[in-house]
Amino acid sequence: MGNEIKTVFYRNLWRENPVIRQILGICSALAVTNRTVNSLVMGVGLMFVTAFSSLTLSALREHIPDRIRMIVQTLVIAAYVIIVDIFIKANLPEISKALGPYVGLIITNCIIMGRAEAFARKNPPLISFFDGLFAGIGYTVILLGIAIIREILGFGTIFGFNINFIDFTKWTIMVVPPGAFFMIAIFIWIASGIMDRRKKKEAK
Amino acid sequence: MKKGYIYTIIFIAAVSIVFSGILAGVNAAYKKKIEINELAAEKASILYSMGIDAKGADAVEVFDEKVSETTVSGIKFYSAVADDGTTVYSIPFVGAGLWGTIRGYIAVDDALTEIKGIAFTEQNETPGLGGRIEEEWYKEQFRGVSLGTEITYGEDAGIDAITGATSTSNAVLKIMNEFIDTTLKELEEADGE
Repeated sequence: MGNEIKTVFYRNLWRENPVIRQILGICSALAVTNRTVNSLVMGVGLMFVTAFSSLTLSALREHIPDRIRMIVQTLVIAAYVIIVDIFIKANLPEISKALGPYVGLIITNCIIMGRAEAFARKNPPLISFFDGLFAGIGYTVILLGIAIIREILGFGTIFGFNINFIDFTKWTIMVVPPGAFFMIAIFIWIASGIMDRRKKKEAK
Repeated sequence: MKKGYIYTIIFIAAVSIVFSGILAGVNAAYKKKIEINELAAEKASILYSMGIDAKGADAVEVFDEKVSETTVSGIKFYSAVADDGTTVYSIPFVGAGLWGTIRGYIAVDDALTEIKGIAFTEQNETPGLGGRIEEEWYKEQFRGVSLGTEITYGEDAGIDAITGATSTSNAVLKIMNEFIDTTLKELEEADGE
């Protein structure tokens, strides 16, 4: 079990990282990464949904009829997303407003259904839970990485705290979605570069 | 797993009922709290349009202390004495944006000569483009705009539209000008009687 968790962890955070390796969840990665706080809340929301939907779907996997499995997956995922949405609305109203429709759109985040189809359908509940959780962490880590750079360059702040001591000119492009395209591309480039180098080494 | 039709129908029905039940429970548990949050946000918006400085949790207290509600010829609006001692009225408006309804409050001075401020409470414009109407710099430029002539963008007017969000920017102006022509006129006439 310990080894299994380690494999799942490594796979979701690096080798098959949902954002920079599988290029999933890009829509929200572009939209919410101009502020670190928004990215963090979005990431935690996604972690919760992927972990628990994987757990639930895995527990039900013997009973779900094949022909309607996608309907059941969507239903379970949607239920958890609505719970997250209600929770954020009740406890973090300002962030809820900033995230706008993106919390509801977690439902359409391919990462969750991807984990449900690729992993939770064939594996026992506990390891599926960790698989979902780590996929969510893999997503969050990348989002935070992008958001930290975007917020520093775009607003001169980090988690809302002003760190613009030398008073540099803020990059408007980092605030608007195109800035995220550049950042994601750079992240993907770095990850692919390291991967390729490793593969070549292994080949030798 | 291959299962019969009846099993499939019973299964999906059961799953739907269970999850709907959970959601109904969660919704019921948080409904009150969300309503309180929404009310506080609404009150903060009204105060913002009036130019009264109150942030976060203070907004409700300041609102309850300073603002009173009036209804004239079927239009419900709010009045208060602003920080500079003049009376301001904050009147709700509603209109069509690019993607959906835009709601908010426009505050005017006692003599109906200038706009004191604008606040948006509901909009579904593109985040990062039209959604930027909620940003301070955009809303702040309407403070002190004269009500005598039609409001326009441009250097002369001193009001900037949002780059990349022309339709939303124009929609806001259209809503404001319509508001001045209809709602404000009605109030003025009703007040004169």
